[in-house]
Amino acid sequence: MDNLLHVGKNIPRTAETDKVTGRAVYMDEYKRPGMLHGKILYSRYAHARIKSINTEKAKNLPGVRAVITGYDIPDVRVGFLGDQTVLKRDLVRQFRDEVAAVAAITPEIAEEALKLIEVEYEPLPAIFDPLEAMKPDAPLVHETDARGRPLRSNILPLPWKFNAGDVEKARQESAYTATDSVNTPWINQCCMGTSGCVAEFDSNNNLMFCSQTNVIFGAKQRIQTYLLNIGLKGKKIRVINPTVGGSFGTKLDTDIYEFICIQLALKTRKPVRIRFTREEEFMALPPRQTARFTIEQGCDKNGLLTFRKVEAILDNGAYTSWGATTPSVMMLPISSMYRVPNVSFQATCVYTNNIYSQAMRGYGNPQAAFAVETSMDHLAETAGIDAAEFRMINRNHPGDVTPMGLKITTCPLEQCITAVKEKIKWDEKRGKRNGRGVGMASLIHVAGGARVYLSDGTGIRIKVNESGEVDVLSGSTDQGQGSPTVIAQIVAEATGFKPEDVNIVFGDTALGLWDAGTHASRHTFVAGNAAVRAGEKVKQQILELAVQYIPKMVKRSLKQQKKKNPDFVEPELDYTLIDSPEKLDLRNRMIFPKAAPDHPHFKTEVGKILTSGLHVGTGESKAVVAEVFWDPPTEMLNAEMKGNYSCTYAFGAAGVEVEVDRQTGEVKILKLVSAHDVGRAINPSLVKGQIYGAAYIGVGYGLTERVQLVDGKVVNPNFRDYKILTANDAIPVEAVIIEDPDPAGPYGAKGIGEPGLVPTAPAIANAVYDAIGVRIKDLPITPEKVLAALKAKEG
Amino acid sequence: MSNYEYHKPQTVKEAIGLMESLENAKYIAGGTDVIVLVKQEKLAPANLVSLRNISELVYIDTKDGLKLGAGVTHSAIANNEFIRKRYSALADAAGAVGSKQIRNVATMGGNICNAAPSADTACPLLVLDAKIVIDGKAGKREVPIDDFFLGPNKVALNAGELVTGFVLPDLGSNTGSAYIKHARRQAMDLPIIGIAARAAIKIDGNEAVCRDSFVAGNDISQTIKRLEDERLVFEDVRIAMGVVAPRPVRAKKAEEAIKGKIISEKLLKEIGEIAASESQPRDSIRGEAWYRREMVKVLTGRAILRSIGRIVGPEQMTNPNRLW
Repeated sequence: MDNLLHVGKNIPRTAETDKVTGRAVYMDEYKRPGMLHGKILYSRYAHARIKSINTEKAKNLPGVRAVITGYDIPDVRVGFLGDQTVLKRDLVRQFRDEVAAVAAITPEIAEEALKLIEVEYEPLPAIFDPLEAMKPDAPLVHETDARGRPLRSNILPLPWKFNAGDVEKARQESAYTATDSVNTPWINQCCMGTSGCVAEFDSNNNLMFCSQTNVIFGAKQRIQTYLLNIGLKGKKIRVINPTVGGSFGTKLDTDIYEFICIQLALKTRKPVRIRFTREEEFMALPPRQTARFTIEQGCDKNGLLTFRKVEAILDNGAYTSWGATTPSVMMLPISSMYRVPNVSFQATCVYTNNIYSQAMRGYGNPQAAFAVETSMDHLAETAGIDAAEFRMINRNHPGDVTPMGLKITTCPLEQCITAVKEKIKWDEKRGKRNGRGVGMASLIHVAGGARVYLSDGTGIRIKVNESGEVDVLSGSTDQGQGSPTVIAQIVAEATGFKPEDVNIVFGDTALGLWDAGTHASRHTFVAGNAAVRAGEKVKQQILELAVQYIPKMVKRSLKQQKKKNPDFVEPELDYTLIDSPEKLDLRNRMIFPKAAPDHPHFKTEVGKILTSGLHVGTGESKAVVAEVFWDPPTEMLNAEMKGNYSCTYAFGAAGVEVEVDRQTGEVKILKLVSAHDVGRAINPSLVKGQIYGAAYIGVGYGLTERVQLVDGKVVNPNFRDYKILTANDAIPVEAVIIEDPDPAGPYGAKGIGEPGLVPTAPAIANAVYDAIGVRIKDLPITPEKVLAALKAKEG
Repeated sequence: MSNYEYHKPQTVKEAIGLMESLENAKYIAGGTDVIVLVKQEKLAPANLVSLRNISELVYIDTKDGLKLGAGVTHSAIANNEFIRKRYSALADAAGAVGSKQIRNVATMGGNICNAAPSADTACPLLVLDAKIVIDGKAGKREVPIDDFFLGPNKVALNAGELVTGFVLPDLGSNTGSAYIKHARRQAMDLPIIGIAARAAIKIDGNEAVCRDSFVAGNDISQTIKRLEDERLVFEDVRIAMGVVAPRPVRAKKAEEAIKGKIISEKLLKEIGEIAASESQPRDSIRGEAWYRREMVKVLTGRAILRSIGRIVGPEQMTNPNRLW
């Protein structure tokens, strides 16, 4: 594999020129003839009974084409647990509950119409603290479940319980133990492009749905079910993506606004677009939820981990989306980060009247890693062992099978930790307690797909046109991470073409084969594997054509030369050099015999073969086309939450140096090193881009970002008050790529979409402790928290 | 968002005339506050009278102190060498507002008329004894800035009047000033608190030797020790605080208490305590009251010290990020 021509090269992003020059068609630019604009009216209370809704004035506003409430559409339940309806009729359970919607000829008129809708509410007691909501006498957020059976508690019927070994026994046998309570905040995914969609029915009620989803087939299935439930049976649905401005978890589930858009399109018989404002993006799009952890760990006198016990409480908000399933990924670091034989984990998701939650980059991993890595530093200190050494002693090894059943294949965690130690000058800077400090944290994440659905597969279809362009039809999506470039490199390598020959079509259910979605850092690995396999098939087909046509072409050419020049002496050619596909290779568009790569007569540009192959006369011939549906050999989690759900796992470590102002409590990051096991970097500069971006989101998670909820209402729904880092807050990030090609990866690659975010916040917290001796266990680490903790310590 | 007529007068006189004749009209300069308020539907003007094309509002006059036109942008102030050296607090604040894009259009007059408790340039103008120049149908008048702020978003402007400029007195070469914006990030942020200080010190005999200490960027206590050793005395001090009251306020008791005293670490700490006692911060989503009060204690001393640094080493000290 050392002889790669395109993989491993820093090829500039292919699809991005249109984005930076304003040509790309994002949701805003996607326009249809006669398109209307939809707007949604949200609840004014966190919990209330709707006494009446009057839409008359809104309907009479010139330019308004439809006003709908829960009484105008079928009362159909949607969502993961079917615990909500599209428009709410009787009860609202959160501030973002959708009460009515308008379609009008301009967004401004639609907005104006919302103000004319009169809703009378009767406020009900609401509950915002999951601990309070868990109490037996707490008011119920839902009186019944989706089937109408009475509920007795706000605790979701999702028993996230995991046990391996004997934690109790291990605790008794431990030389040292440490217990910590840690909290992580609500945060918003902050996509640059806000949410939106366009729904359009044809005269037979077939639906064309332009959506930002990164799970196009999952979205299609959910919409199909919804249409069926509202009485539209057997309708064709095509889901397409526009250019998408980031996903970070927000495009996994089908959101309520998408169903509303479909209803407005159905009602008006016109294409309808809904586009969120930034305020809506903060208030009405599910964020990453807050989580509280209690973690206890122990080790023996040599520092080997003996057990880990974790309990988590997750604020689910009022309804259930993928937020409630994040424990399936929290499992990952809790059961398998470092070698730990005895593990117990329990997560409780609780309904409250806060806004409901969903996925974000890293899923449950960043939250759980904050708990695990905070505890690791605490336990190392208790045991009197250097925190880096402690991690090294307990590190994972290739060939390990973890308590959860994860099969570790390649694992260069040791190199990651060593690189971080060296670059951050660990030995020189650690333990000074002089206001400057260094800290570290590690990570494990799925890097070979993640079997969360029955299939974790991706289909790729490759066709080669007569002049030698390579069209790739992918069932997956691109949300700006650079997939078109990476897949082009892989296809070019596998087929023998050049990356610039490759044209990729993403995000269209009518063209692509099935795909489980661009999530869980799985795209490069799973789609890449499918692309390699399909590419090799294509190459084989071309070489078969070459065996057939190169001799003919050479002979014809020699004949012509002879004709032109009677003195021409025909060379003695050894045609056995090219008499079978195995004897030929195709690289960089050139076909040549392996035994004589520079053969003056046999070396042939691929385009010539393709043209000859297609233009052979009447009857059936061969077009060069291949397709592969590839599903990684993995397992779904069983009832005990065990199973090897990814084909391979990525490791990494982050090191941070901070300076803390003891008088103001401000934390300044002087250096951040993020070292990642990527298997093989298909495109190193894109890999670094993923690491930088994720590290910045990690720094925001660690220091500044939080959605502030006051009695269920988001009070900082804008970028002035939601403190995402700006360009001026640039911190020096050094991304270190550790390459240890994975046998299962495409050219050895592992996924790298999420890992960079995971260890950043705990590394910062650990560095703050090293600087000032105060451990902040509640993210984000604001100046207020640092100063309060320092004052408490000084008494 | 409501619809409005946009008017583009070329002179102040024309602007005042328009304001008088139009219904429900509002002045707009850079628009970085007005447009936000219109979008939030907190303002619904039928007419906007733009001050952008009025060239007589754009001047920086450095004869006998400093005279500034209300239409001068924050960028123009932050990048002006004279202001950076002689009225450093104002340059500090102008350079810390919003982002570069906002500073390129947002004007000084607009920032002051919006009168947010957090307005960055308000504290420097308070410590620099600025006067506001106002024009209207009743004619021109000048108001000391301390009398100009009446409360949150409330200023001493009569109907139709506009701010045309600022007059700042010459402060002498033994004076330095500084503004510290304490925020959660480096751009697009409002201060948790803002502190401006202006200090005039008495330097007996020749040039202060302690400048080396500032220039070397020594440890803060060492630097103060040098000041104390040289018995440097505060001749006059101004302190102003933002976000700790309904409007930007002076810490007048602290100013009185520091006058005539020898600079020392203990004194700076005391002054911080007094200033904190004069503040009335509250809890908000942007910061907690106790923390704001603590920061008044810490940052008052730092702002004064940064001001002194600019006197004893004016050439080296023009960069606001140089000290602590």
